[in-house]
Amino acid sequence: MIEVKHVTKTYGKKHNIFKALKDVSFTIPDGASVAILGKSGSGKSTLMHAMSGLDRPETGEVIIDGEDILQLKTKQVDKFRATKMSFIFQSFFVQANETCFDNVSLPLEIAKIPSASRKARVEKALAAVELSDKKKSRARDLSGGQKQRLAIARAIVNHPQILFADEPTGNLDSVTGATVERLLFGYNKKNGTTLIIVTHDPELAAKCDIEIHIKDGKIESITNHKTVSKQATKKTVGAK
Amino acid sequence: MRTRDIVRRAGRSLRQAKARTLLTSLAIAVGAFTLTLSLAAGEGSRQYADKLIGSNINPKALFIVKDKALFEGGPQQQGGLREYDPDATTSASGAVIKQLNQSDVDTLKARKDLENVQPTYQLSIRYLTIEGSDKKFTGDVSPYDASIRNETANGSLPALGTQLNSTDIVMPESFADTLVSQKIVPNKAALIGKKLTVTVVKPTTQPTEQEINTIIATEGPAGLSRLATGETKDVQLTIRALTKQSSTALSAGSALQIASAQAKELAEYTTQGTDNFQKYIGVTAQAAGDNKPEDVKAALDKAGYPSQTAKDLQNLLFTIVNILQGIVAGFGVLALFASVFGIINTQYISVLERTQQIGLMKALGMRGRDVARLFRYEAAWIGFLGGVIGSGVAWGLGTALNPWITQTIGIGEGNYVLVFQWLPTILLIIALMVIAVVAGYLPARKAAKLDPIEALRTE
Repeated sequence: MIEVKHVTKTYGKKHNIFKALKDVSFTIPDGASVAILGKSGSGKSTLMHAMSGLDRPETGEVIIDGEDILQLKTKQVDKFRATKMSFIFQSFFVQANETCFDNVSLPLEIAKIPSASRKARVEKALAAVELSDKKKSRARDLSGGQKQRLAIARAIVNHPQILFADEPTGNLDSVTGATVERLLFGYNKKNGTTLIIVTHDPELAAKCDIEIHIKDGKIESITNHKTVSKQATKKTVGAK
Repeated sequence: MRTRDIVRRAGRSLRQAKARTLLTSLAIAVGAFTLTLSLAAGEGSRQYADKLIGSNINPKALFIVKDKALFEGGPQQQGGLREYDPDATTSASGAVIKQLNQSDVDTLKARKDLENVQPTYQLSIRYLTIEGSDKKFTGDVSPYDASIRNETANGSLPALGTQLNSTDIVMPESFADTLVSQKIVPNKAALIGKKLTVTVVKPTTQPTEQEINTIIATEGPAGLSRLATGETKDVQLTIRALTKQSSTALSAGSALQIASAQAKELAEYTTQGTDNFQKYIGVTAQAAGDNKPEDVKAALDKAGYPSQTAKDLQNLLFTIVNILQGIVAGFGVLALFASVFGIINTQYISVLERTQQIGLMKALGMRGRDVARLFRYEAAWIGFLGGVIGSGVAWGLGTALNPWITQTIGIGEGNYVLVFQWLPTILLIIALMVIAVVAGYLPARKAAKLDPIEALRTE
């Protein structure tokens, strides 16, 4: 469960001050798929950064599994991200010069997984995104859709609890975008991983369990497409 | 992140920027090349000096003097009015050197820890002639050193430690070559057994008025001219052997050698009546029995006779070698210094180029410390590569050119100016890696402090 309580983030100083987040609070149950919906500059990316510990808002709490990650030391937050979180970005950020295998292996190396057990996990993740045949190819030789699939493989290889996706289909055409969506939601349903998608696309947002609309740093509305009881059922069924 | 994984990723990053990596490491390679050569040249020179001393000086030998100034970068120039010292000689530079006199020599000869005490006779001959020719030659003559084994080209020498007979003379092969080329003898072998006459001059002394009168009365004007030119003495000697020209021999190649006793006689003849009669700049001797030269040296120092051992001489040569080596190494260090800025620059560019990669790695939970390590290891790889290239090229080139260098400067077969060794080379490469890491410190810190949110901003 992720609890966000009274989070406020400001940029700049004195008369240049700009509040990116204004007293934001909400709760996300485990295994849910959540869309943070808003226009550019609305603060949705800042919210994602705050929830992942990349950014540190001045006030408020972000409680994951009962721990306020804003109170943790940098080293512990890094460990948190290395073991419990994953990211997918609009511009993929795959390492063009490296092979698909090495790209996917990076989070495991960061999490200090011994190389002996890395190989099987990388191959499994590549298989999950249907890129097994590209294992030895360099990432620069992949198409846009393949790159994002590679990024998904990199994100799921660590079996994260929370998967952040920042405009995952923003740079893709509708067909490849649909494939990426299918993979993300499929992984979310199958493994009970909390999926948090930051997007300005209402169509994509509508496919999530929860929609959080954000505007000018404030929550405008939270739409829950599923009942609480259904979520609870899904959680018990979906986990494992 | 595990060290092994960081090292692997660092190596991969460098491979992906091959040209830049190579060019940066070439800057270090220049320094490594120079340093490897200077190390090799130093080692080569030391080995050569060692060989030189080993084949010329008995390790137990000591050179004993009275004036310590002789060992301290030459006698000091002393200005002003000084008291006259009958035992002192004035060198060309006007400095005064105390010499040993006969009683000093006798004292040294009486010592139990010394043997083969032999003053350094200053021999100056007017000319020498060879049987069967009236051509006159000049050349250096020195007392025979029985403690060194000389190789002979023709003839034979007495056993080690035994002096020559007083009528024997030993000629260097190079002198014999001159005589052959001047057609005085048909070949070198023909010289053995030939008579060689050495002519020395007795120094002229200011005759008294009475002496002049007596000479004029008895011998006439001819006698007067004889008095003015000085008496001469001919000593006939037999050529016993030709010493081989050895590349590592210092003395044999350059002087005729005569028996010690004969040398004493000639030296005294040419100095009699002068201030230098029975005065010696130094005395050569050997530590007797089991006495260590260092201990004898210490004992002599107490007795007021400064001395030098074979080791001291070796150290003196090594000092010169070290200075020369230091100069060459200095250029290498300068080259390295320049390459340090190359590394800093390259690594800064690398950090800028890979901003997104760094941002991603940090977003994925990589610690700032590990990011810094990644860049430091890359710098270490560059240092390693530069060191291996530089040392490798120096090693290869040096080994290939060694025979040519040996031939060109004529130091004799089997002697090499450049001697490459594994240990210093490996230490050098390690040192270069450390330098590269230090140079990469600032860029690595910049990478570590990079804000992942900023780095991953797409617009």
